[in-house]
Amino acid sequence: MAGTTESLARFAPELVLSATILAILIVDLIARLQPKRPSLLSGVALVGLSAMAGALWLTPTGDTSLFTHLLAFDGLARYFKGFFILAAALGVLFGHLSDEISRSRLGEYYIQLLCLTLGLSLLASAQNLLMLYLALELVSLPSYVLSGFRWWDRRASEAALKYVVFGGAASGVMLYGFSLIYGITGTLQIDGVAAALTAAATGGQGIAGQLGLLMAVMLSLAGFGYKVAAVPFHMWCPDVYEGAPTTFVAFLSVAPKAAGFAALIRFFVVGFGQPAPGAAGFPWAEILGIIAIGTMTLGNVVAVTQDNVKRLLAYSSIAQAGYLIMALAVGTDEAIRAVMLYLGFYLLMNMGAFFGVQLAGGERLSAFRGMASRNATLAITMAIFLFSLTGIPPFAGFIGKFYLFAAVLSVGEPFFYALAIIGVLNSAISLYYYAKVVRVMFLDKAEEGDGVVEVSRPASALLLALAGPTLLFGVWWAPLADLIDKASSILR
Amino acid sequence: MELQTFNTLWLIPLFPLLGAAYAGLLGKRIHRRYGELAVSLPTVIMPWISFAVAVSAVVTLAQAGPEVALYNRLWTWIGVDWMQADMAFLVDRLSAVMILVVTFVGSLIHVYSLGYMKGDPGYWRFFAYLNLFMFSMLVLVLGDNFLLMFVGWEGVGLCSYLLISYYYRERDKAAAGMKAFIVNRVGDFGFTLGVFLLFWGLAAANSPSYNPSIQATTAAPVVKRASAKPDPAKLAEHVAFQASWGLAGAPCRSHQALGRASTLGGHAQGHHVEGHATTSLAFRHVERLLEDPVKREGLLSQNVLGLSLVTLVGLLLFLGATGKSAQIPLYVWLPDAMAGPTPVSALIHAATMVTAGVYMLSRLHFLMALTPVAMTVVATVGALTAFFAATIGLFQYDIKKVLAYSTVSQLGFMFVAVGSGAFWVAIFHLMTHAFFKACLFLGSGSVIMGCHHEQDMRLMGGLRKLMPVTAITYFISSAAIAGFPLFSGFFSKDEILWKAFDTGNVILPGGGFVLWLLAAVAALMTSFYMFRSYYMTFSGEYRGGHAHEAHGHDEAHGAHGHLPRESPKTMTIVLGILAALALAGGYVGLPHLWHLPNLFEHWLAPVFEGSAHTLKWAGYGHGLEWGLMITSILIAFAGFFAARWLYRDHRNPTPQKILDSDRRLVRGVHRWVFNKYYVDELYQKTVIQPTLVLSRALSIFDTGFIDAIVNLVGLIGRLFSMLQGWIDRTFIDGLVNLVGDTVMNAGRALRRVQTGRLQAYVYSLVAGSLLMVVAAWLMAA
Repeated sequence: MAGTTESLARFAPELVLSATILAILIVDLIARLQPKRPSLLSGVALVGLSAMAGALWLTPTGDTSLFTHLLAFDGLARYFKGFFILAAALGVLFGHLSDEISRSRLGEYYIQLLCLTLGLSLLASAQNLLMLYLALELVSLPSYVLSGFRWWDRRASEAALKYVVFGGAASGVMLYGFSLIYGITGTLQIDGVAAALTAAATGGQGIAGQLGLLMAVMLSLAGFGYKVAAVPFHMWCPDVYEGAPTTFVAFLSVAPKAAGFAALIRFFVVGFGQPAPGAAGFPWAEILGIIAIGTMTLGNVVAVTQDNVKRLLAYSSIAQAGYLIMALAVGTDEAIRAVMLYLGFYLLMNMGAFFGVQLAGGERLSAFRGMASRNATLAITMAIFLFSLTGIPPFAGFIGKFYLFAAVLSVGEPFFYALAIIGVLNSAISLYYYAKVVRVMFLDKAEEGDGVVEVSRPASALLLALAGPTLLFGVWWAPLADLIDKASSILR
Repeated sequence: MELQTFNTLWLIPLFPLLGAAYAGLLGKRIHRRYGELAVSLPTVIMPWISFAVAVSAVVTLAQAGPEVALYNRLWTWIGVDWMQADMAFLVDRLSAVMILVVTFVGSLIHVYSLGYMKGDPGYWRFFAYLNLFMFSMLVLVLGDNFLLMFVGWEGVGLCSYLLISYYYRERDKAAAGMKAFIVNRVGDFGFTLGVFLLFWGLAAANSPSYNPSIQATTAAPVVKRASAKPDPAKLAEHVAFQASWGLAGAPCRSHQALGRASTLGGHAQGHHVEGHATTSLAFRHVERLLEDPVKREGLLSQNVLGLSLVTLVGLLLFLGATGKSAQIPLYVWLPDAMAGPTPVSALIHAATMVTAGVYMLSRLHFLMALTPVAMTVVATVGALTAFFAATIGLFQYDIKKVLAYSTVSQLGFMFVAVGSGAFWVAIFHLMTHAFFKACLFLGSGSVIMGCHHEQDMRLMGGLRKLMPVTAITYFISSAAIAGFPLFSGFFSKDEILWKAFDTGNVILPGGGFVLWLLAAVAALMTSFYMFRSYYMTFSGEYRGGHAHEAHGHDEAHGAHGHLPRESPKTMTIVLGILAALALAGGYVGLPHLWHLPNLFEHWLAPVFEGSAHTLKWAGYGHGLEWGLMITSILIAFAGFFAARWLYRDHRNPTPQKILDSDRRLVRGVHRWVFNKYYVDELYQKTVIQPTLVLSRALSIFDTGFIDAIVNLVGLIGRLFSMLQGWIDRTFIDGLVNLVGDTVMNAGRALRRVQTGRLQAYVYSLVAGSLLMVVAAWLMAA
């Protein structure tokens, strides 16, 4: 455990981020009348994020825990912090290029976005249940605001309202679960929970004590499930994705989901022993496995019938979470590395796909009709993202899925074989709706009124900058895999 | 072998690749807009940068001690169980020689091409291909495993094809490219089969079930090695290697653990590069594996089709080498390959690519040394090739054809060395040959350019006065290839002759003497035909120009009135440098007899150390060696004086008299040899025509017979399909549609759950949580 001074030194990235938020606030106020204000704000945000990345790079690396065991400072946390910085930077760039965010409210948008990022960073490192809850709320509140950012739009305000109520209910259920955990184990530390659980399991408390524990854990799961949009906590997801500004959905569909997974990893692997199967006599692996099956099947099956691309991608992101939960159910180091790797690729391809929707100028499937002839760059990069999401070689998504399935298969038990088979069948279903978009873009002819889609040069460059690595990682993933190998240490 | 990480090795092939991409992708436009130099200068500079990196690598290697190799692992390329192949480059002392030769000679030839290709319409294409070739060749020699070497191997084959048919508008040149490609496919087939077979054998030899007492027996060599060479790093590597092959400890467990650790292409931090390698396709791992007596026996005891597996592997790999390095029976493509531009002939078809087979067999010396049969075949084929190609070279008039057959012949010499077990000598000759043969080819290119694209030596002559630099460099290189004392070729060729005589690794009646005799006669002929070409080209009076009409070679060139002129500086400087090397390049490998240090042998000794104890030598005394050396000097001068007497100044009537002779024997022999023993015709009759006939027959069979059956079947099929169609529409489509519709309907149904009503959402949240609690409780119970 690190003392306050050491803790602060390792907390530097978050401090830099907080300073950036304040700086944007001040610049936003001062430069109110400047014509170049948007660029200035984006510049400050990007410089701040770069500084945060620098701070992350420069902090000492040894694993320790900060602020009297509130936050963990380990490989997992560092990896996800880097992840969030990248996602936030892309979010800022998307916002800068978006028509949905009015130029006069750009500062406000960035402030909310970076507050959210701060919450994400805390969520990925929270080691204490109370801290975890606070971080979750810090993520949720800006999310509500940003979903309803265009409050005059009926869909947006409806989405925001649903999000608030649903999120409130989910975090309430989770909080109830936490309180049960505290009641049973007498501690809020995740590692303390582990110790208490082991004692309870060996102490022979009988089924009564275990039922309480089951309830505690299952209810806590609601909060995580809501963040990663797992069935049956996914209901908010399609409505919010549809209503919220596309540029924010790109961020929302990736970063909070990743943070949810980081927290889930920490909660299960640290709190309930690893590997998860059979820990303390409870069938965690099976429960997570069933959730995974439900999540990916529902996501894929419903996505098939969608003709709104944003909604389609919403269900697709539910399905993607299903694959990840499937690997999480395995709980081995290998599986966790696979989850981290897949999330890294997911960042590129999912943000890329939503950015493509943002640029296409419409969210109905018909808006993509004949895109190949209307804007080839957009059509080709979009196809790359979608095929990568399907998991077709030679794109990064294939490698990610390969590792996920390899982790599941390496358990070698019938349940996990079944899980993997269902996962593969789901991938096959997903090809239908991803390819549907590609078909519309390449095989359907543009009709009267479908003009050329104007995409600015920076936006094209950004599209290519996301598509390039999606392709490159499909053949050369070793650097990221090496990085994750080094960065997958988890403080227990 | 100790590995030292050298992280810039990958730059060596990278730069030519960049050059190729630049010229290949942008060259055409840049050529049009900014002119030739904008295309060629970057592509010419790239190999020089590679050369600089190569030099820095070799300097590091030289300072690092004999047992060290530089290693640069980029990423895990293929990792399937124990078949691990990395994208990794390795420079040991053997590949060091190769990269220096390739990058240096290659760079020089790039410079030469500046002048030679001036004004060619496909300028950008030429330089793109040439750079691509450099890339492939460097991958070939730098690759640390079979697969990567094969990538380079195929890459150079492709570039060779592209460059031979560079003037693709001319039908025969395009055909020559195709011929080279197809003949090489035969060789590549052997190469791949050899590799597959080797790994099949290794897998069997390596499986834990091969020997139940395996753990007990493998512990011994580890200890022995440790006591013999108490080098901790090496021991660690060895142990790690053993572990990675599942030898030490519990075989399967440790293997799986390693497999899992490397699943994400993983590398624990701070480990020595080699600590976790499971790269079993790497040459060094195969070599180490075969050092283990149990494994070696395991491999040696296997038979395939009644032949020893190792022998078969050796022969198949050699088949690959005969393709790439133009040996009997696959040499036929190389003379035709002269259709390409002359710098290409110099670089690809003399100095570098064609030596790939020699390099490959030397790389696998540890394997070849295990199989005397394959060694014998290699040496014999080499000697026969050297001999026959030399005889063909005696009567050629096309200056490039002379050099082409000479190349085939010299490659034969190298294989004699390989087959005799003198691997370092093969590489030595490879190097000196690269110098003098590149110089000769470039000299011939200079001549051809001077004579307005005339290649017939009968229409040359007198060029010494007109092209002095070309003449001098050509003479020096001819002296080198002929083996004049103190020229580079003398040292390497003499060493080959001596090693061939002295070898104990071949199972021929008469031992090495037969090899020596064939090679010595070939050397005599080499000296003769080289100086024949020199005197025909450079002495006497210029016979070009007006002589054209007389010979009926009417070319619409319009430049006949001009006398040949010396080539531009970029070309002559290169000629000068190469001639200097042809003169002095042999001093690194002085004979033992002279009691002077043999730097080259010493340099390569650690590489071939592993097979040194398996090789046997007859052990003839110094007296005999002196005798042989004097003999080879006499041979060189005999050839020289004979050629000088017959061809100098075009005055001696004897050659013409022989040609005009009415004696049937003389005419017959001449015609037979002049037409290259009709080997091409033989192949045409025995291989190509039967193939064509077969394909035509099959085609007739196909149209006449099969089609009829097909039509009949089709008719039946149609009847059936009508029935089937009905079943299909009713049942199968129903089933397929059922699946699709089920998914769709399920989607629609589930979609309806998403009512948009918030109350329902929250109910589902709570209900879902409770449901999960119940489910979990049921499962726990």
